[in-house]
Amino acid sequence: MTRTKLFLIVQAVLCTVIAVLLAAGALSLYLDGAAKQAEGDLFYYMFTRERAGARLLPVLPLLFCALGLTVAGVILGIKDENAEKPARDEKLLRDLGSIRERAVHQQADQKTRILRTAVLVIALILIVIGMLNGGLEDVLAKGAAICTECVGLG
Amino acid sequence: MDKTMKNKKENIRRPGTRRLVQLYAALLYNANLKGFIDGHIYTGSLKAVCVPGFNCYSCPGAVASCPLGSLQNALNAAGHTAPWYVLGILALFGVILGRTICGWICPLGLIQELLHRVPTPKIRKSHITRKLSYLKYVFLMVFVIAIPLVYGVGKGLILPGFCKYICPAGTLEGAVGLLQNPANATSFYQLGALFTNKWVIMAVIGLACVFCYRSFCRFICPLGAIYGFFNRFALTGVKVNPDRCNGCGLCVMKCGMDVKHVGDHECISCGKCIDTCAQGAISLKCGKITLKGPETGKNADPEPEIRKRKKAGRVAWGIAMAVLVFAVAWFNFIEPAMDRASVPTAVVTTEQPAGTETVTGTEAPAEAETAAPETENAAEGKTGPAATDAPVGTEVGNLLPDFSTDLLSGETFRLSDYRGRVVIINFWGTTCAPCVEELPYYEQLKTAYPDVEILAIHNRAGAKKAKDFLADKGWDHLDFALDSKEKGLLPLLNAADAMPQTIIVNRQGIVTYNAQAPLTYEKLEALYRKANEYRQIAMPLDINGETVNETAEEADAEGQGNHAWEYADTGKKTGNSPEAYIMHVADQDGNPVEGVAVSFCLDTACTLRKSDEDGLITFTGTPDAYHVTIVDAPDGYSWDGDFEMYTDREYGEWVLRVRKEK
Repeated sequence: MTRTKLFLIVQAVLCTVIAVLLAAGALSLYLDGAAKQAEGDLFYYMFTRERAGARLLPVLPLLFCALGLTVAGVILGIKDENAEKPARDEKLLRDLGSIRERAVHQQADQKTRILRTAVLVIALILIVIGMLNGGLEDVLAKGAAICTECVGLG
Repeated sequence: MDKTMKNKKENIRRPGTRRLVQLYAALLYNANLKGFIDGHIYTGSLKAVCVPGFNCYSCPGAVASCPLGSLQNALNAAGHTAPWYVLGILALFGVILGRTICGWICPLGLIQELLHRVPTPKIRKSHITRKLSYLKYVFLMVFVIAIPLVYGVGKGLILPGFCKYICPAGTLEGAVGLLQNPANATSFYQLGALFTNKWVIMAVIGLACVFCYRSFCRFICPLGAIYGFFNRFALTGVKVNPDRCNGCGLCVMKCGMDVKHVGDHECISCGKCIDTCAQGAISLKCGKITLKGPETGKNADPEPEIRKRKKAGRVAWGIAMAVLVFAVAWFNFIEPAMDRASVPTAVVTTEQPAGTETVTGTEAPAEAETAAPETENAAEGKTGPAATDAPVGTEVGNLLPDFSTDLLSGETFRLSDYRGRVVIINFWGTTCAPCVEELPYYEQLKTAYPDVEILAIHNRAGAKKAKDFLADKGWDHLDFALDSKEKGLLPLLNAADAMPQTIIVNRQGIVTYNAQAPLTYEKLEALYRKANEYRQIAMPLDINGETVNETAEEADAEGQGNHAWEYADTGKKTGNSPEAYIMHVADQDGNPVEGVAVSFCLDTACTLRKSDEDGLITFTGTPDAYHVTIVDAPDGYSWDGDFEMYTDREYGEWVLRVRKEK
């Protein structure tokens, strides 16, 4: 195993562990809290800054480690060389036969220009109609206030 | 050694034009930098406009709305308002830029590409990833279109499926962006299953992006799916010159996306293929203008045309930077959208005690809940309001500042009018599903506890929708008001931008609960009981000797006795009371006690009354919420110095208890 490969694997393991720890931390807080709430404590808070901080703390050294390795990897030019090579999936290659014909078809012909103009005009008309029927106000109302449920807060 | 150094220099490449544009777009979308400091989102009028890329509008820095969130919201409301505006915006972005947006001006795209730079073994594209790329159409159909339509039009519920269950941008920018700020510490209390689900999804997507190029963009992103429909005829995009193309397919094989050919619905116009193509057949064009291509590259002839192009590029960057500087200056220093410092003090009528230590938390500390107003004896010439020593503010334990607002019913609500009663202030919005779901609980609470006063304040925007929404609900027990920039109740009450938010004020005007979280009826009732606690702890006593209620031991067994026997009983008897407030003063055995001095206070003055030989006090003041305290008792009797109660606006009878020393 080359040193590059070892480096890449270590980094991959680190990233995976970080993601698992982050997910597991949240999950354990939730499960603890759910158990407490099931016992009848209506106002038991599953997540608090302190509890979340305590779960994040063990992840931080790993995170900094991964970050340091990433910087080192970028400086030293360590990367998965295979990723830069053209894909060699046979099923993908099958589709390449007609690539030139598609390029010809893709040329901005008269039809495309007409379609583009038509969609542009329709879009502008829709915007104007939407502004008149209160669409603008709707977007503002939604955007100007956080819906806690929508962003996953609760 | 020299070679190594040279290699290192080569490795640390200058960021390309595309990376700079991505950074620029991310900064421009999130120009409200002060939002990261104060923990509030931007609420100005520009939020009515959508940005082209994926950027959560609940991010504290966001200055405009997310097109996908707006689309879901519009589809949710499609039952009464057609979503023309958002569809038009999406079509406009699509026809002009197509998926060039994904490759160049999407902040989430930038994050994914940075994650992919972490040096790990990479998963290359294959026929499997190509098949997976169609998954995003499923996400589009199910979470963005079907769920909002079914719930919105069919059931009248607001449910932006993708935002709620999947969107990692919402979790990262919105939830984490808000939670990282200590100002939003109470937001932690509402986190539960939903957040856990979204957090895990975000971690999985983040990890996937490390190993697999733009995993979210390729397999999940519904916005990319929408823009993909326009890619074929979009004004801007990568174009192939068929006269030069030899069909080698290198462009497709080296592309990180699951394209079948350059410029198809998967192509994000990143321009990698331009550098790959040995034939010089590919270029990035906007109409007839070539933005990037063989004729603009390093090997291009140094013709005046090239110099002209470079000059134009520098001018464009200059203008772009000027726009960014202006945007940062505008949103952080000039835009008056939500100046929280300019609280309209004109409506604050509560006396402002000197600032003392602010109590934080979500539950009122005992001393705040039972803080007795220092009512002075009017007979001794000391009159004054029943002020507490709690600082004025909106934190738990603070005295909520007085305010007034016009109700939708046409009446005026003034907080001080309800002193002596528990007041619940709820901030809600028609666009907020949990808000709409919990409103019936307030109606239910008001029905069960008529003494509570509930004020529901709708966000300043969407007033018409709110009125339409309330029209057929028949919630007669609740008082509804609309906030506006002029009245500024939101900044006055320091209401967060997050909804729903509920503030509960006890009989003394002290905040006992203030949090941005949806409540169940059980929680709401528990919070009301807590705010109303000192009334609840008093044992109901019969006045006419017809009913015998709890004994002291029974009350003690219920955990109420400590207060019940030391406090006077305030169980009100209504019915055939004369037009007066009548207090029956009795000892613990029920015997009437003469000579007990009781004060009845309003904000401005107190009136003292003493019980007669029957232990009776008859106070014929005008109906109001009088703050009642025991001031004195004859020798041989004691009373709890913390006792206090408020009368109702209707006359009635109460029993006040003092302890006879044995």
